[in-house]
Amino acid sequence: MTAEAATPTTPQPAAGEPADDDGPDATPGLARRTLAVFARNRLALLGAGLLAALLAFCFLGPLVHPTDQVHTDLDQASLAPGEAGHPLGTTDLGYDMLGRLMHGGQTSLEVGLAAGLLATLFGTVYGAVAGYFGGWADAVLMRVTDAALAIPALFLLVVVAAMVTPSKPVLILVIASVAWLSPARLIRGEALTLRSRDYVHAMRLMGGGGGRAVFRHIVPNAVGTMIVNATFQIADAILYVAYLSFLGLSIPPPAADWGSMLSSGITYTQVGYWWLIFPPGLAIVLVVAAFNFIGDGLRDAFDVRLQKN
Amino acid sequence: MRQSRTRTRVRARIHRPHGRLLASVTLLVATALLAGCGPKVEAVTDVRPGQGTPVEGGTAVMALPPAATPNWIFPIGAPGYLATYNSAIQNLLYPPLYTPEPDKSGKLTMDSPRNVADKPRFSDGNRTVTVTLKKRYRWSDGEPVTADDVRFWFELIRANKDDWGGYSPKLLPDNVERFQVLDDHTFRLRLDRSYNPAWFTADQLEYFKPLPRHAWSKKGEDPKKVFKRLLTHAKQLSKFDSDPLWKTTMGPWRVEKWTASGHVSLVPNKRYAGPDKPHLDRVVLKPFTTASSEFNVLRAGGLDYGYIPPSVMAQSAHFKETGYRIDPWESWGVTYLVPNLNHPETGPLMRQRYVRRALQSLIDQKAISKHVWHGSAEPTLGPVPSALMEENALPYDPEKARSLLAAHGWKRGEDGHGTLRCAAPGTGEGHCGKGIDKGQELALELLSQSGSTETSNTMQAIKSSFSRAGVRLDIREQPLNTVLGTTVPCKPKEPVCSQWQLGFFGTQGSWIFPAEPSGQQLFATGAPSNMGNWSDPRTDELIKRTEYSDDDSAMRDYARHLAREVPVLWTPNPAYQVSVIRSDLRGVDQNPTLTLAPQDWYFVKKPARGGKGANR
Repeated sequence: MTAEAATPTTPQPAAGEPADDDGPDATPGLARRTLAVFARNRLALLGAGLLAALLAFCFLGPLVHPTDQVHTDLDQASLAPGEAGHPLGTTDLGYDMLGRLMHGGQTSLEVGLAAGLLATLFGTVYGAVAGYFGGWADAVLMRVTDAALAIPALFLLVVVAAMVTPSKPVLILVIASVAWLSPARLIRGEALTLRSRDYVHAMRLMGGGGGRAVFRHIVPNAVGTMIVNATFQIADAILYVAYLSFLGLSIPPPAADWGSMLSSGITYTQVGYWWLIFPPGLAIVLVVAAFNFIGDGLRDAFDVRLQKN
Repeated sequence: MRQSRTRTRVRARIHRPHGRLLASVTLLVATALLAGCGPKVEAVTDVRPGQGTPVEGGTAVMALPPAATPNWIFPIGAPGYLATYNSAIQNLLYPPLYTPEPDKSGKLTMDSPRNVADKPRFSDGNRTVTVTLKKRYRWSDGEPVTADDVRFWFELIRANKDDWGGYSPKLLPDNVERFQVLDDHTFRLRLDRSYNPAWFTADQLEYFKPLPRHAWSKKGEDPKKVFKRLLTHAKQLSKFDSDPLWKTTMGPWRVEKWTASGHVSLVPNKRYAGPDKPHLDRVVLKPFTTASSEFNVLRAGGLDYGYIPPSVMAQSAHFKETGYRIDPWESWGVTYLVPNLNHPETGPLMRQRYVRRALQSLIDQKAISKHVWHGSAEPTLGPVPSALMEENALPYDPEKARSLLAAHGWKRGEDGHGTLRCAAPGTGEGHCGKGIDKGQELALELLSQSGSTETSNTMQAIKSSFSRAGVRLDIREQPLNTVLGTTVPCKPKEPVCSQWQLGFFGTQGSWIFPAEPSGQQLFATGAPSNMGNWSDPRTDELIKRTEYSDDDSAMRDYARHLAREVPVLWTPNPAYQVSVIRSDLRGVDQNPTLTLAPQDWYFVKKPARGGKGANR
């Protein structure tokens, strides 16, 4: 396989063959090499470990430490950590802080993951279509992207979130609606390179249409870039959830997320209720760091040169 | 080579993790800084209370309530524009004839020295009132203030009473049969019957104010036409400080700047002839979206007169150390959630007395006052300030609420969870009541004002308590002006009536009374501030008694009746604000009716060694 024939991020299938028709040994080999490179990256492993721990904390934690996160308990309001059986204290409405951290984490992670993945999927298809078809379609699609990118994302998010009552599906759609722009541009660049490959030409000579080219050749061959970008998109989406919630545009109580918890805790900074602030703040930092480390590791893992080394 | 560049470019484009990490770390660091690692507040002044030499001039910056933006300069308040900060500013430009003020014992009276008129004289069995204006007052353009200017105000409200926020059927202007100008400074009112003089002065004459007929109207012009023109100007918020119409004032202040975002700057009216001439050069009223943002500016020394959120009451000692004094501003008011009794869907629910009583029994006012308001609120016990109430007719009692609802055919799901549904429709004993269908949920949506942690938490506590009993409450928060503009009296078929089910606008008290806390504005049938459309012949009768009779039992009976009927759901009445005032800013008297008198404010400077204290 020559250097000219290789794709930027993945090994090139033989000319005329679709990417998913590689020989039976090719995919396991690729996966093994990718995993091996990923496993050599300590930060990536740390990120994966952190993410696994956070997921377990948020989704399995409530089984170990069940709490009522729906009803307030004013008699238990603002207790310090350790008081009355509350390891991380209680909020100003008497919610157990540890339980709320788990409860809020579920929302942050669910919305972040869903919005990040949705944005990546949509952006990938959009960018692949623009890049593959080129010409006026590319010009129109990418000018739309450029125009949307010119509007500050946070401003758009605040306006949209203020117009509708935030809920999980709404937040996912709102965040994904501004986050797809970056993957669209990225994949469009990939598509511009991939569309001139021999196997794409061969597929067209055999009568394959644009849809087949995009979904069977362009997108699968850009999967490395997609996955790496998705990790960063998820991290971004989690931060967007935090931003919006911090600005008061969160899912209405008793639902919570880390951003809204941070926002509520800020009210009490002056009276020293640190337990309302640092846990959600730290959780946001950890989850964003985890996704970034994983993204870094995946980027290296998909890098052909590193695999050869 | 070309491919290598492409790969590098791709790598560069997706290699941006540090930006995100930096953002999240920044979030945490910023939080940590806010949490107390930030710069400490410097002392603003070290002039002790009672000391200092008064000085003329200076600018005082006062914080407006959270999410409150003054948006009405026209001194005839329209429905939806009746916020206290609007009227407080209007009264500084166009003062009323009589201003309620507490006497030395704290009792509200109408005998303020800043009154524009002498004490009213009642005659003819309290059917005739004669008022004489003090002769010294002039408009800012030099024209004298006359009785005809008061008649101009009266003509405007009489011709446009439905557009006047203070209108109550059969009261002003309906109850004045004749307005007679006796001379340049005296007018006489012939009333439709005899009234309680104390009530009439406190609750009716307090509205009377001179308006500049010479500047606002041509001779003989139709009052409806004049009013329409004035309303057009009154809706041009961005021109309040430039429109020549609003330049002719008679109060101690005039507008220097008024922005659409609510920033108001006032400077002294040089031609003001009252006894309370301003000492300061300028008063600035600054808007804030939230109490937290106000608090941060206050801590940074950006306010001379602000407030602290109840959640940080523990910080009051810190402010005292840095040259401020803490002074809770108690209001003469009540606070409540208003149910829209004319809402097409939830109106029939809330028209049921037992539903209202059950919901009231689910509101733990004591706990909310203590834990959410940190002691800066007290339970509202009925339609008059708590000081006048004898008992709490419906204390917190969730068991009683549950059994009351169950006794009227409301049931939860098979498992005893979920929202209550009507299982026994009908109007008889043990049935849900008129207009309630089988299977209808006991669910309400609350439109509540935003910007206050305490209000949000109060609503969450109520939602939680309702939820335990099977009542679903969905909360939607909006800025105060939006809430006030939406929660207006309405008829069932009007579109606005479908826009809200339950409303709350009481972060600083829902209703502030004049000196006499009668209910003609709030609960009389068709009253302009009867937002929930309450209509009850017995209530109307009892309100009338408070207007006509000076017997103490009239007010007591009215209060007792409505405390039990629960036309609105009573919630803790917070102090208007816990004020934080620079110790060198003096003369600040916090009127429980929430009027402002910045003309009394003055700064003091540090006394010379061995000097005497403040003597103003």
